Amino acid sequence: MTKRRAERFARRWLRGLLRRVPCGRDGIARVGAREIYILPTRTGFLFGTVLMVMLLGSLNYQNNLGLLFTFFLASVGVVAMHHAWFNLLGILVQVRGGPPVFAGETASYEVTLRNSRRHPRHDLRVGAEREFARPVSVPADDQLAVSFGLPARQRGLQRLEELRVETRHPMHLFRAWCHVATDAETLVFPHPARHAPAPEYAAGNPQRLHPSHKKGTEDYMGSRSYRRGDSPRHIDWKAFARERGLVVKEYGSERGREVWIDWSQLGVPDPEIRLGILTRQVLDASDAKVRFGLRLPGVVEGLAQGAAHTQRCLTRLALFEHAQDVNQPPRAT
Amino acid sequence: MRKTSINLLERPETGQILALSLLLMAALLPLTPFLKGQVVGFLLLLFGVRIAALKWSAALPAPWLRLLLTLAGIANCLHAYQSLTGQYGGTALLATMLVLKLLELNSKRDLRLVAILIGFLTVVQFLFDQSLPLVLYLGAVVLGALTLLVDLNGQPQAPRLRSALRVTTRLALQALPLTLVLFVLFPRLSSPIWTLGIDSDQGLTGMSDSMEPGQIIELVLNTELAFRVRFDAPPPKADQLYWRGLVLWETDGRRWTPGRFPTQSTASARLQTSSDPIDYEILLEPTKQKWLFALDMPINKPDKSILTPDFRLLARQPITSAKRYRVTSALSYRTEETDPRLRELALRLPDNITPRMRTLVSNWQIQTAGDWELVQRGLAFFNREEFRYTLLPPRLGANPADEFLFETRSGYCEHYAGSFALLMRIGGVPSRVVLGYLGGEVNRIGGYHMVLQSNAHAWVEVLIDGRGWVRVDPTAAVDPARVDHRSASRVLGTGNSVRFDLDPAGPIAGLVKQMRLLADTIDATWQSWVLDFSAADQLALLDRLGLGPFGEYGLAALMVLTVSLTLALILLTLMRERTSLDPLETQYARFCQRLAQAGLPRLHNEGPNAFGRRVCVARPDLALAVGQFLAIYVPARFGPYQSHTSAAQLARQLRRFRPRRRPSVPSHRLGAATPAKRSRSKSSGR
Repeated sequence: MTKRRAERFARRWLRGLLRRVPCGRDGIARVGAREIYILPTRTGFLFGTVLMVMLLGSLNYQNNLGLLFTFFLASVGVVAMHHAWFNLLGILVQVRGGPPVFAGETASYEVTLRNSRRHPRHDLRVGAEREFARPVSVPADDQLAVSFGLPARQRGLQRLEELRVETRHPMHLFRAWCHVATDAETLVFPHPARHAPAPEYAAGNPQRLHPSHKKGTEDYMGSRSYRRGDSPRHIDWKAFARERGLVVKEYGSERGREVWIDWSQLGVPDPEIRLGILTRQVLDASDAKVRFGLRLPGVVEGLAQGAAHTQRCLTRLALFEHAQDVNQPPRAT
Repeated sequence: MRKTSINLLERPETGQILALSLLLMAALLPLTPFLKGQVVGFLLLLFGVRIAALKWSAALPAPWLRLLLTLAGIANCLHAYQSLTGQYGGTALLATMLVLKLLELNSKRDLRLVAILIGFLTVVQFLFDQSLPLVLYLGAVVLGALTLLVDLNGQPQAPRLRSALRVTTRLALQALPLTLVLFVLFPRLSSPIWTLGIDSDQGLTGMSDSMEPGQIIELVLNTELAFRVRFDAPPPKADQLYWRGLVLWETDGRRWTPGRFPTQSTASARLQTSSDPIDYEILLEPTKQKWLFALDMPINKPDKSILTPDFRLLARQPITSAKRYRVTSALSYRTEETDPRLRELALRLPDNITPRMRTLVSNWQIQTAGDWELVQRGLAFFNREEFRYTLLPPRLGANPADEFLFETRSGYCEHYAGSFALLMRIGGVPSRVVLGYLGGEVNRIGGYHMVLQSNAHAWVEVLIDGRGWVRVDPTAAVDPARVDHRSASRVLGTGNSVRFDLDPAGPIAGLVKQMRLLADTIDATWQSWVLDFSAADQLALLDRLGLGPFGEYGLAALMVLTVSLTLALILLTLMRERTSLDPLETQYARFCQRLAQAGLPRLHNEGPNAFGRRVCVARPDLALAVGQFLAIYVPARFGPYQSHTSAAQLARQLRRFRPRRRPSVPSHRLGAATPAKRSRSKSSGR
């Protein structure tokens, strides 16, 4: 444990030493000359070793042709190093957080790489930590969007502190990389508990909130697109067969009921578990098409209904007593 | 335990494996004449398996079988060469191991390893052969390997080979100046640090250190180059081009040898008088011998060589690679008197002198007064009697000199020089035989003389009181009418020897000759500028730059400086590139420009949506086109979509979009009328 802490500290200290590509006001980072790092790869070291042997042999046997070829290959290596560096230089990077996810899922980030040169840029990999997107090349005068995912471990705003852009162009002899400072965020909702007790109904008579089996007999109200957690029973399979995507039929009988999802109603001591249960309740209530409200210590989300309201409530749960800007509404994502 | 699943990105493609196999085959092809049949056979077998495995992957040997094959390969090399470290054994082993590696290409890293080692293999080949065509061929192979390396790192794109080749070409072109700088300035070793099994018993043709009837003829038949000469001043006449190599003092009646002449005697070679000095540079082909050739008589010696008292130049080391040296010779000279010991050596006779030889010489002695007259008398004998010059002389028996002088009377320079020297010794005139070359072919294209092995010649030097050693060429005394041209053309074919003036007339033959001279010129340039470039040349270059006193440190400093400068230039060419606007921005700029021409300029703080709305209000007739344009532009510019197609779509839209100015509507007033709306929509746009 202490070892890991020391490691983390060392990494942070090192990160402080490293120069990062600053993000411009428009959210676009332009990779500058002094922010690019470059080191030989294993192949590069092998190449160097073979060249060294060739050099020594040719020098010893005074074989000028051997020297000529050795020097040519060495020059190609040196030029390749500059090309690797140059492949990153001046690239414009813009990072955006992906749609919100639940903790335990993968938060995606979308990176737009813009190449304003007349030559294509090859073998660009973007990522952070150990997760990298597939290498791409950006054609001349063009831009390309790549996305990669990071595991969403904790609820809250997951902020991508820095993005790494790497290249091993042209011959895999050198790896050039740079760290791009970003403020891309992805909202991570709490991990929903598997089961949750039914919350209290505003009318005072608790009722099971699980998707009712009587639903099928209720009046058909209309259709909407499929959302996580919808019962497969309500999927309009005919519409699916007509290739209109997953559509769920809605029934009106649940309307008119109201429910409060309340932090103080739960007896679980651990706040995170509580939040997980609340999340499940919000999802259930949303599925059940009831008007619901959310009460958290210091935060109240009034009675309402619909996707936007669910999102708002989940965001409240995600940011509840979160280290940064709790009361600020999240950015539109 | 080895990871069984290899990252998908790192898995090589079949095409890449095939390309690598072909490249390795191409790299090994020039080696086949130097490798033994069993090694080549084994390599071919492995290649066969590799190619078959591309189609049927079951043909790929299992790990235990690969181990077995590896052991078999090592055993094969050992059996063929008895060693794994010498030049041949080592090369065979390297080739075998590389081809074996082709059977184990699990990841791209394996491919990269082999591609890099192909570079090593090319350099090893230069120990065997250094000709220009080979260099061009191997250069192409190395470029192929580099292209494969680039391709291994790239993404599969449509014109794949072309895009990889483009990258490689750029790399290679930028690497060339750097290569040149390094080649010229990288400090060389002046002598090897270690020698390890570089075999040097390749059969080289050339002069041997003795003379026996029938020996030079092998050389005369040989049209290989012996050396090239470049004169600083106009060259001397052809009959003065006696290239002195060895001096033979002793004979057993059949063979002439250098004898026990002390090569490093205390007496130095000095000329009493000399005039007509001539400076020239010789580029000698490797001979594996120590002797250097120079015009009669050399008056100074090149570095690292000895000038013996009998005016031979000897290098310290046998000449195993082409050697360049400068000499000055005096065309007119008079040598010093030799000390009595040498005089005695030059008079020693073998046992097989026949009475009729003695009678012949004593007859001459009666008719002549001095030594020089005796020499003249001997030459006149060769001229007057029925001596014939032929390259197809009859075989001689136990006493060649006697048989030649009195019976066969036909032969070439060896016969004449040997027997003449003997006759002079019988007559009491000290004599010795000189081996070397006569003449040389002028190469006007290259501006130098080519001396071929077929120019080999033997002549005699006699010691005359008051004149020193004097050169006498008994072969030249033969009546030209009795020179057997037919035998020469029979032996030599046509156009091979200048000595016989056999150069055929006719345009095609002339063209062939010109081509041959041109080829030799290229070869000579190659020799002197690439193969033969040495530490001495580097120091000469430094001297010319005025950095001579700094020696090799100066060289190293100059190298670092020049390399940095070259790199800076390369970087500058890289950076000079135009950076262009975003393609979307370009289209949007055109869109705004068109509207501005129509009287609707975009305000500088106006976002595209706001601008569009304003235009729609002002010009409802344009609303459709503007809406269509913005419907593509706005999501492409601000949304996460790829722009390549969008930019093209926009360009298509703009092609039809030619708004005209409508003078009836005062657009500027409309533009100024909606400031509030504008700012709000701008913020939403961003």
